[in-house]
Amino acid sequence: MFKGMPKALWIGMGLIYGWMFVFMMLEWTVPGFPLTSFLGVPACWIYNCLMGCYVINIFVAWYFAYSEEIREQKLAEKK
Amino acid sequence: MGADPIVIIGAVVYFILIIAIGWFSRKAALNAADFYVAGRKIGPFINGSALAATYFSPATFLGMPAFIFMISYPFWWTLSGIIAGMPVATLLTAAPMRKYAPTSFTDYYADRYDTKWMRLAAALPTIIGGFAYVILSIVGTALSMVAILKVNYIFAVVLAAAVVFAYIFWGGMVATTFSTALQGVIMTVATLLAAGVIIVHYGGLNELTQAAISSNALYFNTPHAHAKTSHPLMGMWTGMVGFYFIWHYGFATMPYTVVRFFTAQDIKAARRSVTWAIIVGGAMYVGLIVIGTAAKVLIEGSHPLMGTEGIKNAVGVLAHMKKTYAIGTASVTDYSMFAIVESLKMPWLMAWIIAGGLSIAMSTAAGWTMVLNVVLGRDMIGKVFGSKWPEEKPIQVMRVMTFAVIVISALLSIDPPALVLDISGSAFLVIICATAPSMVLGIWWDKATKAASYVTIFVMTFVSGGSWLYAFYVQKSPHWFFLSDPSNKIPTPHQFYWIPVAFLLFIVVSLLTKPPREEVIKKYCLDIRPEQSK
Repeated sequence: MFKGMPKALWIGMGLIYGWMFVFMMLEWTVPGFPLTSFLGVPACWIYNCLMGCYVINIFVAWYFAYSEEIREQKLAEKK
Repeated sequence: MGADPIVIIGAVVYFILIIAIGWFSRKAALNAADFYVAGRKIGPFINGSALAATYFSPATFLGMPAFIFMISYPFWWTLSGIIAGMPVATLLTAAPMRKYAPTSFTDYYADRYDTKWMRLAAALPTIIGGFAYVILSIVGTALSMVAILKVNYIFAVVLAAAVVFAYIFWGGMVATTFSTALQGVIMTVATLLAAGVIIVHYGGLNELTQAAISSNALYFNTPHAHAKTSHPLMGMWTGMVGFYFIWHYGFATMPYTVVRFFTAQDIKAARRSVTWAIIVGGAMYVGLIVIGTAAKVLIEGSHPLMGTEGIKNAVGVLAHMKKTYAIGTASVTDYSMFAIVESLKMPWLMAWIIAGGLSIAMSTAAGWTMVLNVVLGRDMIGKVFGSKWPEEKPIQVMRVMTFAVIVISALLSIDPPALVLDISGSAFLVIICATAPSMVLGIWWDKATKAASYVTIFVMTFVSGGSWLYAFYVQKSPHWFFLSDPSNKIPTPHQFYWIPVAFLLFIVVSLLTKPPREEVIKKYCLDIRPEQSK
């Protein structure tokens, strides 16, 4: 199953789900964690709204596309 | 009270732009390939923006702010979960599906599982869910016009349906792609403008956070860390995890997004278009979080209806709007975006918001109509039942089917039966459970079998749809586990657990049944995966 799937997929999914898992666990175990100050604002605006909802996902999607383009380029050069 | 002239101008400009795109693209869709898949010539940005606009339904734009203020901070994770599901599509389905290059959503099912009847099986949940989505999208478009432009509901339904019909009739997938791409940009700009105005209004994120807490002291409470949360659905971790995952895999597997991978100019463009879809759609979601967080305090502090006719809170304002506009199919949450922007008293912003609301609703209606007219016309009439009509006159068939889909949906939108609305609520879950395992495992697992595909499609359509409806009627919400003890309900939003169950069922049946032919595995599994070095 998933034979031939680029390794990048597992790395990217690990980053997305790892991020979600770590911060959800912190929220369930540390009362008031979302309101902890970080960079001058409540941390949830950074780790959830900005990073979790936007930046990480753009980065992972770009990484998937870019890593495959590089791999395909190397394959073409080999040929 | 009539509509502000600036708002009317905004709506008129929007309609002119969308109709113009349809009209000017009519000469770009002269053959079947152009009409079905836009000639496979679409670049990453246009395809990505169209992907985002198609994927997000009107409920996102109109209702998400209300869900955020009602369910509170833990619901932010729902929005993160929806966007976080998008990158996965890049390698899981976008690249293989573009490499395979089909014309219709059901092509892969028929080819990979080696029978034309698989088209029918995959089409059934897609057709039922698709009609429900088109109806809801037409209702969403009409609702925006009624609430803001103060026009008659039936006139609004007819106008919405006529415009969507016109641009699909003229330009097929070409017009749909370009108008949807523009709609993606409009809805995102509208949301970001509203979010920016709100942040400036409160003087920053710290002040906005404090305002939200002053309006609801439980707003930032999370399950297990606090004895009480703002909403009972978020009183347990399963509520947060369920909402994170329920819409998570839709982008990679739902028919109306998968067909957009076919329109990309090449595999590279298909992969890159996912990144652009996240840039466009993710920005809108960040804006929606800001708007939703401010919703309650803003409506209760500044909405013109507050304090009148005994209205005491934000829910009272939304309930009053629902009663005033009397659109029986709409829920109170559907008026939240308009109530928030009315509270800001800025006509220019409302002009953008009406354009954004129309954009998101019409793009979803057009996306699903394109799926339905290909499935009904080319696939069912031509490939399954053997008529030569779709082969001989493909554009004529597409136009007739577009007419049929739009007319039926518009008629049902005028006074939708309750069951249509209930089905539409469960459609997302049912379509993913029924069709996603056959697609994802069909590509990535050589042992995926025809029997497993049939069993999963039929069993999961009834099991997931049935349990959703049972929870909806018996537990009074689809978000409680359908067999919960009524005195101790467990939150399982939209019965999300059926998605992994569907994959497990597919794997077990595949292992017990006859494997596919080797030629089929080579052509529709191995050859469409990424090329490997020898």
